[in-house]
Amino acid sequence: MGTTVMIVDDSFFMRNILRGILSDKGYNVVAEAASGIEAMKYLHDRKPDIIILDIILPDSNGLDLLESTLQSHPHVKVIICSGIGQEPIIQKALAHGAKAFIQKPFTPEKVIEVLASLEG
Amino acid sequence: MDMSQYRDLFVSESHSHIRAFNDLIVQLESKGADKSIIDELFRHAHSLKGMAATMQFASVAELAHAMEDLLSKVRSDEFTLTPAIVDLLLEGSDCLGGMITVIESGNDTTPDNADLTKRLTGFTPGSTPLPSPATAQPPATADSAETAPGRHDQTTSEQHQFRQTDSFKSVRVRTEILDRLVNITGELITTRHRLADQAQNCPEAQLDEPLGQLSALLRELRDEVFRARMLPFSFIAERFPRLVRDLARKLGKEISFRIDGKNIELDRGILEEITEPLVHILRNAVDHGMELPEERIVAGKSSCGEIRITITRDKDHVLIVVADNGHGMNPARLISRAIEKGIIDGAQAEAMTEEEALMLVCTPGFSTAETVSDVSGRGVGMDAVRSAVHNLGGTLSIKSAIGQGSSFILKLPISVSIINALLVDCGRLTVAFPVNAIDRALELSRRDIKEEGGQKVCSLDTRSIPLKSLNRLLGQPAPHGGAASAPAIVTSISGTPVGLLTDRILGQREIFVKPLGKPLSRMPAITGGAILGDGRIVFVLDVSVFA
Repeated sequence: MGTTVMIVDDSFFMRNILRGILSDKGYNVVAEAASGIEAMKYLHDRKPDIIILDIILPDSNGLDLLESTLQSHPHVKVIICSGIGQEPIIQKALAHGAKAFIQKPFTPEKVIEVLASLEG
Repeated sequence: MDMSQYRDLFVSESHSHIRAFNDLIVQLESKGADKSIIDELFRHAHSLKGMAATMQFASVAELAHAMEDLLSKVRSDEFTLTPAIVDLLLEGSDCLGGMITVIESGNDTTPDNADLTKRLTGFTPGSTPLPSPATAQPPATADSAETAPGRHDQTTSEQHQFRQTDSFKSVRVRTEILDRLVNITGELITTRHRLADQAQNCPEAQLDEPLGQLSALLRELRDEVFRARMLPFSFIAERFPRLVRDLARKLGKEISFRIDGKNIELDRGILEEITEPLVHILRNAVDHGMELPEERIVAGKSSCGEIRITITRDKDHVLIVVADNGHGMNPARLISRAIEKGIIDGAQAEAMTEEEALMLVCTPGFSTAETVSDVSGRGVGMDAVRSAVHNLGGTLSIKSAIGQGSSFILKLPISVSIINALLVDCGRLTVAFPVNAIDRALELSRRDIKEEGGQKVCSLDTRSIPLKSLNRLLGQPAPHGGAASAPAIVTSISGTPVGLLTDRILGQREIFVKPLGKPLSRMPAITGGAILGDGRIVFVLDVSVFA
């Protein structure tokens, strides 16, 4: 089956690129969410192993979303994904239980490396 | 990793971020520094930065980053939002739009914007005021994207379809395929007319019932095909708030602008054709229609004027009304200007209704602006606006009250291509007029036709209207003399009713209008062609050119 992943990013373009990178390496992308609300819905329905979470979303604060995710699903591994300039939030997210972060722009190798490090 | 496969996606998503950004920033000016709007602006700049960096378009990413940083300072209350910041952000989004258009054209080298990026990053609240976007020149590429016909629309329609792919209930369809479907549907309708014609000649074939069924199915097919081509008005409206805002600022006017009914859908072909006319009407409303704040106060109005576009729909038509609450138009002044310019004579002036007088602004060469400004005194005129509306099978009317404002009312069919037309025999030709352009059809007896000052006239209701020979206008032989009566169609040319004498009125018919190729397409009087059931070709005429 492969490790299941949910991608949370408001950009369809970004979700597509991530999906491409992950599928190539045998990851099973079970959901794509464009907003916090969608993310919560898929989290309950599809129960992904890993979530790649863009910290800036149209409807919610990424940190709040991280917190509620980990409260209801403590075993899910959350990787924060964000552009440069968001270092303070990334630090906070790591302190609040995010397992790793990917900085945009990323290379496919970097994405895979971060995911692999969580599975070890 | 091969990123080229994501290029289209990048371009369409970037354009929609930029459009949303522009829209929000205009709202920011009217609503003040609303925190949620600033958050949204920040998010758009941030997303663009991330996307551009991923595609390795460094200069786009840097510019978006500089905008994001400036917004972040406004967000954290380090800077207060000032018009200078708004101008700078708008300049940034214009520049980004231009760069994305360059990328869209297949060129990876985007124009240098280091200076703008530097001004964004180096901005301090006390720094020298920056040039307003109304005077600053956007990059040439951004401009050409706006004016290149078809191009802009193609991009926007792709985005629209793209948004729909988020759901499995929708698929992306190229617009050419939709155009072909309309074509095929039109041909089917023509073929049905042929079948019906031939069925009349052989009643024993008993084709009435299957023909009736075929008609019903074709109607359904036509409706569905047209529905697939519909796009909401908001599609072309996104740039209007910005346009009004920039122009008002440049002219020192205060205007609040709103659009009601932007979700109402029209055929994409119609949307494409009315964009420029609407831009012209809006520019006129800001430039000529609206008073300066001090003039408004003297007139006992609030200093801030209002321009509103309202879109409503009934069964077969969409009404687009552009209304302002400015100083309105003075029919008497329009009439005297028209006499001065030799467009009408005293007798015509006397007979003019108020509505006809207002329509004088649509006469070629008519302009009441004391000096032709560089805002609305160029490019298309109101005559071109009216022609564009007529060519779509729609009508334009104007209402105005002195001191209270003006409304320009566009009544448009919901779809193009298949229209109701009045067929007329004229010499060796059969020609078609969109029924919307015809006021009525008359059968005139010889006694009804009189002469006044060397001009043939007839009475219509309480007035006399000039008569012209359609045969002569189209270079066709005159009808045989001796006929007891002559049919005429009454239409409005330059706001005045005119009767066009012809040989025979054949009646109303639903026709499928196709655009003509060159050189026929260059003839201003002909807007398209259609094939009748018996195989005859008819030309669809634009009556307004007979002025």
